Amino acid sequence: MMKHANYGLNAKRMTVFDWLNALFIICLMLTMIIPFLNVVSLSLSSGVASMRPDIILFPKEFSLDGYRTIWNSLDLWRPFLNSTIVTVFGTLLHVLLSSLAGYVLIHPRVPGKRLMITFILITMMIPQEAVLIPLYVVNKDFHLINTLTVLVLSGLVSGFSILLMRNFFMSIPYEISESAKIDGAGDFWIFAAIYMRLATAGLATVTLFEFVGRWNMFTAPLIFINDSSKYTLQVALKAMIIDSSTSSSNYLITTNVKMAGIIIAILPLIVIYPFVQRFFMKGIMLGATKE
Amino acid sequence: MRAIRKYGVLYAMMLPVVIYFIIYGYYPLARGLQISFQDYKLMGERPYIGFANYAAVWHDPFFWKALGNTVVIGGGILVFGFVAPLVIALSLNEVMTAWFKKTAQMLLYIPHLLSWVVIGGMWIFLLSPDTGIVNLVLHKVAGIEPIHFLAESTWARWVMILVSTWKDMGYSCILFLAAIVSINPSLYEAARMDGATRGQLVRFVTLPQLKGTMKVIILLNTLGVLRIFDQVFVLRNPSTSSQVDVLMMYTFQKGIMEMQVGVGAAASFFVLVFTLILTLAVRTLTRFDEVE
Repeated sequence: MMKHANYGLNAKRMTVFDWLNALFIICLMLTMIIPFLNVVSLSLSSGVASMRPDIILFPKEFSLDGYRTIWNSLDLWRPFLNSTIVTVFGTLLHVLLSSLAGYVLIHPRVPGKRLMITFILITMMIPQEAVLIPLYVVNKDFHLINTLTVLVLSGLVSGFSILLMRNFFMSIPYEISESAKIDGAGDFWIFAAIYMRLATAGLATVTLFEFVGRWNMFTAPLIFINDSSKYTLQVALKAMIIDSSTSSSNYLITTNVKMAGIIIAILPLIVIYPFVQRFFMKGIMLGATKE
Repeated sequence: MRAIRKYGVLYAMMLPVVIYFIIYGYYPLARGLQISFQDYKLMGERPYIGFANYAAVWHDPFFWKALGNTVVIGGGILVFGFVAPLVIALSLNEVMTAWFKKTAQMLLYIPHLLSWVVIGGMWIFLLSPDTGIVNLVLHKVAGIEPIHFLAESTWARWVMILVSTWKDMGYSCILFLAAIVSINPSLYEAARMDGATRGQLVRFVTLPQLKGTMKVIILLNTLGVLRIFDQVFVLRNPSTSSQVDVLMMYTFQKGIMEMQVGVGAAASFFVLVFTLILTLAVRTLTRFDEVE
């Protein structure tokens, strides 16, 4: 990263420009740190303290009431569970199916390969949003509205993941596959025992992409789910923390409760963030710098 | 026949994906086209009514208002979402302390990972007139009276554009940084031997070398413009809806909320056509295909 960051200038000599530049970046970082610090502190404050017009960057009248209220009284555990189910099953199936298809596309001599690639590329050109309404109709015909199945099924495979897995598989020398075949191994066995094991970085990248995407999925549950017991976390939070401030509900949800909801939704993503940094950023860079 | 015997397993491995794409990719597209020509009701007869749904969308002033909002908000996001990460990447590249640079990158990337419900919920609160930290700070520092950022129509679009830029700048910034790192160091050496200053190195080496990445980012962001939905759905409210409701919001309202499925489907096809036109236009303008 640092190869020519200083263009060979003396690294120890800080010019006025360097100081101003550092100041600029610190200000940018503050636009990230202050909002999050504010939200975390509010979630850990008492209900009364969180409603007062104070600049809060540290918990005031420390209390876990916010978390207790939103988790138990407002039953956030249920949408949390729904989101977990959809994310886990959806991600596993997504990775498996995309890998299977990606593996098929690395073989140079499969008849119909060009047709398969075109078939996949066309699906990538159809924006999901353009088929939103027909998708609702199709899922209704299948009696899938108001089920968690429909959320697992939506975006179950993507051309993007297939091509990404294919690229990762392509970086494994093809001779391995050929010599295993000479030894009498079948294609599925080669895929499961050799390719899936060697492409761990690829699997991790696609898994993380998909995990984040599914955890944050909003449009699909908004449209396909009306039954509040099947709500996912994002939809439930939208109702609890955003709609409750505009509509006159019969009881007030205090700020600490709302902010606790936000922190609960962020938590799983913060837990996986170190892995994201390790794989996903490398993945992005590989994709961006590849000639 | 021989091919099937020889490659049977491979075809079987591809089969689930093919079936999925037919049912959830191609079929809904065909079905949507059919619905757009029908007077579609959830129950009972669904007579074909020609282009009546398309005409209904075409003559609906709200549709054109939504298109206008999409152009203004999307255009704003396009400009800010391009310039901000580029400036930040160039600035980070001048930083000589590795840990400082890394920390900044890590922090700036976080909002991109979070959903619009989380980001929207945070900013609705941060920008609220009586308890939001932004107004509290503005009042304390400059004595400005509380601004209703999310309710005043002058601010509503700016909030959409700026919050979106804030959320996604870390992502594009990483793409730019990755491209800067892969620039051939000998170009810098040669320029330095000619006596180039730091500013000139950026102007004459870094920026021209980033052309390819710039085109990729512009193309990717352009494709996203017509898809803006979650963010508007979360941040809108009755007092600003006429300023911020975008095309997808219009489609959603017609097709799902008002259950005018045929009209919604017709609107979707307008969006699809706009997407195609926009993609072609950007490809031609940036001559994207020439990069590779």
